[in-house]
Amino acid sequence: MGIPEGKAAKILVFSTEKISDPAIDMAGLLKLHYSSKVYTIAVPCSSMIKTRWILRAFEQGFDGVFIAADGSDCPYGESCTEKTGAIVAQTHAIMKENNIEPMRLKMAAICSVCSESFVKQIKSFNNNLVEKLKS
Amino acid sequence: MPSIQKLNFDAVVVGGGIAGVESALNIANSGYKVLLVEKDLTIGGKMILLSKVFPTLDCAACITTPKISEVARHPNVTIFTQTEVKAIHKQDNHYFKAEIVKHARFIDESNCTGCQLCEEACPVVVPDQYQYGMVGRKAAYIPFNIASPRIAAIDIENCILCGACEKACPTQCIDFMQHDEEYQIITRSVVVATGFNLFDPVKIPRFSSETAQNVITSMQMERLLAPTRPYNHVIRPSDGRIPDKIAYVLCTGSRDLSVGNPICSQICCMYSIKQAQLLMGSLPMADVTIYYINIRSFGKGFEEFYEQAKGMGVNFVKGKVGKITEKSNGNLTLRYEDIKTGKLKEADHDLVILSVGVLSNDDPQQFFAENEWKKDKFNFALQKDLFFKPSLSNIEGVFLAGTTSGPMDIPDTILSAGAASMETIRYIKQSTVEI
Amino acid sequence: MKKKVGVYICHCGGNISDYVDVEKVREAVGLEEGVFLAKTTIFACADSNQKEMVQDIVDNELDAVVVASCSPKLHEPTFRAVTERAGLNKSHYVHANIREQVSWPHSDNKLGATEKAIHIVRSAIAKVILSEPSEPLEIKTHQAVLVIGAGVAGMKAASSLAKMGTQVYLIEREHFIGGRISHWDVLCTTDETGKELVTRLYNDISSDKNITLFTGAELIGSSGSMGNFTASIKIKPRYVKSACNENSFEKAISACPVEVPDEFNFNITKRKAIYHNFPSEYPHAAVIDIEHCTRCGECEKVCPQIDFNQHEETIDLKVGSILIATGFDPYTPHEGEYGYQVIDNVITLPQFKRLVANSDENLLWKGKTINNIAYIYCVGSRQVEGENKYCSRYCCTTTIYSAIRANKKFENLNHFHFTRGVRTYGKQEELYHQASKEGQVFFQSFEDDLPVVEKHNNKTIVKINDILTHKMPIETEVDLVVLVTGMVPRAENNISDILKIPKGRDKFFNEIHMKLRPVETVIDGITIAGACQGPKNVVESINSSLSAAIKSYSFVREETLSVNTLTAVVDASLCKICDACAKACPFDAIHPVNIGNKEVAGITESVCKGCGMCLPVCPENAIQLTSFTDNEVEQMIDMLARD
Repeated sequence: MGIPEGKAAKILVFSTEKISDPAIDMAGLLKLHYSSKVYTIAVPCSSMIKTRWILRAFEQGFDGVFIAADGSDCPYGESCTEKTGAIVAQTHAIMKENNIEPMRLKMAAICSVCSESFVKQIKSFNNNLVEKLKS
Repeated sequence: MPSIQKLNFDAVVVGGGIAGVESALNIANSGYKVLLVEKDLTIGGKMILLSKVFPTLDCAACITTPKISEVARHPNVTIFTQTEVKAIHKQDNHYFKAEIVKHARFIDESNCTGCQLCEEACPVVVPDQYQYGMVGRKAAYIPFNIASPRIAAIDIENCILCGACEKACPTQCIDFMQHDEEYQIITRSVVVATGFNLFDPVKIPRFSSETAQNVITSMQMERLLAPTRPYNHVIRPSDGRIPDKIAYVLCTGSRDLSVGNPICSQICCMYSIKQAQLLMGSLPMADVTIYYINIRSFGKGFEEFYEQAKGMGVNFVKGKVGKITEKSNGNLTLRYEDIKTGKLKEADHDLVILSVGVLSNDDPQQFFAENEWKKDKFNFALQKDLFFKPSLSNIEGVFLAGTTSGPMDIPDTILSAGAASMETIRYIKQSTVEI
Repeated sequence: MKKKVGVYICHCGGNISDYVDVEKVREAVGLEEGVFLAKTTIFACADSNQKEMVQDIVDNELDAVVVASCSPKLHEPTFRAVTERAGLNKSHYVHANIREQVSWPHSDNKLGATEKAIHIVRSAIAKVILSEPSEPLEIKTHQAVLVIGAGVAGMKAASSLAKMGTQVYLIEREHFIGGRISHWDVLCTTDETGKELVTRLYNDISSDKNITLFTGAELIGSSGSMGNFTASIKIKPRYVKSACNENSFEKAISACPVEVPDEFNFNITKRKAIYHNFPSEYPHAAVIDIEHCTRCGECEKVCPQIDFNQHEETIDLKVGSILIATGFDPYTPHEGEYGYQVIDNVITLPQFKRLVANSDENLLWKGKTINNIAYIYCVGSRQVEGENKYCSRYCCTTTIYSAIRANKKFENLNHFHFTRGVRTYGKQEELYHQASKEGQVFFQSFEDDLPVVEKHNNKTIVKINDILTHKMPIETEVDLVVLVTGMVPRAENNISDILKIPKGRDKFFNEIHMKLRPVETVIDGITIAGACQGPKNVVESINSSLSAAIKSYSFVREETLSVNTLTAVVDASLCKICDACAKACPFDAIHPVNIGNKEVAGITESVCKGCGMCLPVCPENAIQLTSFTDNEVEQMIDMLARD
């Protein structure tokens, strides 16, 4: 276990089809580089992500999970931020019980043009993970 | 003499470039029957030949090919390629009679599989017009890989009738007995989407484009950068060397009264900046200099794209190029007025791209009666009611899509085609004539 | 479980294959269980490849397909359609994004990019293997369109839609229609004035029985989705009954003692608290500015049509599509920007245009005759420091044209243009020629050395280091400085919040794709037209508005619309009916139902939007979302995690 010296963290991103995934696409369009160990699964809305999926990712070897949430832009309703926050809080609690560092799950609102912010966030998340999990 | 075939449509769209394809799709999607007429062997116009498009750097093919595919299999659209419109006569009561001639392709279109065996067998080599003469093609040939239809054609003017292709064809679809077919079309409406012509730089002898091999046009550079490119690298024509000091001469044939074109072509600044960015990507060691009068990056995301090019290291020099002289090693000396210092200067480059401008295509004048088709003072189609209905021509029932009415970029062309199709549909809907 | 999957990996003509070793990807995924064939292709979206895919599916009886190419936002619909043409259910198609999320962001790391592409294609294969067929839902559409904004774009769209036989509701926030164009005098390059154009458009819409116009009307809420929107509109009262004669209005206006700055003239003049922007404004009815009205009652004495009992109304409109044409605001310089609001003869371009339009014999500013005018370009556009990086597109041309028109109207004017490079694109170049021929003077500087406006001993001076004369310092004394202000997104605009329309980097509304879907937004059924999408001139706005109209028409043309929605599905055997899901659902789609003799949560398919908010709140994990079942998502995770 742990991230070997000089390697990047393996990160699973849950993005949302209408808001944050377009921002991640645009990061590509603008040739903003980030680690190729970052994988994305796009879902309709960030407040539909189940705790068991996040835990599954850790179990399967992901170092971190990043939820690129809709925030207040969510096309399905205002409550999205709050609901996504609740999922993260609940998952953090379970992670603690299972001795998984809570910092390995991070959530940030990424708007549909927040490409630069996404890349910045993902880089700092990677650095934090590498720091915490170095072998 | 074969008899004239008669067909009826709600709309005839003349020109199968992006404007024509977009118009045809819009009209057909509203439930009307459309005939799309293209004089070339393939639809897709100039756009399908481009590399990537500004300011998103999507590949041009990724945008054109799906639209082309959609129009090609649309149940409401009939496509005639290699077809010429001879005449369109306006009739009373809301309809037109069009005479069109479908030229012989000498290929059984339904049976050709596009296997290219005829191309291999053909012994004749002539310059490839789709690669703007930079490489050769056969007299039996497929226009290019993503052409639609992607089937062979015989270039009868250059064919020596040796019969090699006939022997090679596995489906026996080569047919030298084919002849031109004449059609009489009855249609409720016409959309003119005949596009534009590029300025021919031979008209400016001081740029030496006829004599200096390493002076090429921007369309040739598009081909060098395109996915269906002639070579795998960007090379200069004289010796195949990879260039490392590249120059762009903007406003070639635009904003230039001496060649009779006072207006700005609206696209050259941006396509040159785009090519410069692509060149910086594929030739990281190369210097790219753009000589300009004014940079006109006015559209959505354009200014940001210009700034991005500056950031990448593209060198922008404000100054008009007066003369291009070829040196013995194939390099070029550019003499230009450097606005920054107010001095005449000279600079050497090993490849020069002339950013050629947009001129009107006068084809519609040929098929409408002489006094009927009105043009503006720049030879583009007259927009009869510019603000109220920009796509209206001066002939009732004839609508204008894309660069028929003036220079425009691809996003504007698509919006103009949208407007033309909306007006066309409205016009068809009002027509009550039985045809 | 699918057993015969076809996988296609696109070169994208180099966009992908320059950075991702597509051959290696093909080899790697070709070995996956369930994969029957794996191919690479130069352009997956090309017609020839689409045909080949159909042929492959039919010939080999493939049961599922994966294409690895660009973002699903571009071509997922294309390949779904291919799959359907070959006779497969479109759910048996899964798209893998290896361009925007692999080859482009990892163009610096070819090995890493190839590795990532392999993982992504594998996870798409895992998902498609588990896919279940789904049928589209037929929904009944409201065959009506809501057009927001009655400027040129909105009015044009409304009239075109109405002529197609569609019911149109046209709402305008102001009490008068016409938007920005009604401020304008002669438009370039015809002799038509803005008012004339607006008149023609108004005649078109007011004579059409398919159009209902609401002025003083604002969108305050929206629910539903494509084919089926309910829009809440708040309508402000005019306090004046319509259908009355102009004469008594004019009397009422002169009777009113209150004077406030006239926004229509960009505050260079005053108007009364009862007003119209100009005589015979549309609709022909004055309005009382209730905020400034003192209720003195003077107007009521001379005009019987005044009615202070009118009150605000809210109505709900049911429509199948919404077309947004809310336009732009002119940029307002901040205090001190080139002397704005600090030096008394510094005004903006819109103010200058109103000044020229309102002046008859002499051009006066604060009582003083104007001879020398300086124009400072790109104010609020192409900003180096500020937020507006974009070019506002119309300002160069419109300024030069305004100067030419001013020369026609007044004598002895000298024009000095302080530009950052003139952008009279296309045929507009002719105007630049004409202005130069008239003796108008053009200077230029770059962004690093902008002109300066100063006041010295009562004289207004503009200074520039002019690059056209190799940075010669030039000082010009002028009577009026016109700041050529660009276009900015509407400030008072909560439409994006209400309708959830994303904005671009420039803060204007964003289209899905500039060339493929230029008038559509990510919210199905909502289109955008005119300058709310980005700076445009009149012709460009009209073109975009007709394009948006044809798109909106496509949503309401038929009585029903078939939509592909994901839906949540409850496993009745697990549900213990706790109400958590019903509470989480933002659409009120979950209600108790009886299955057998057990009460469980039931999901109304036609109301469910497939957001999945009910999924994580279920304590029994009894809810799955179609296409995102635990099985599918977890298989995808496993494949991405695999070494």
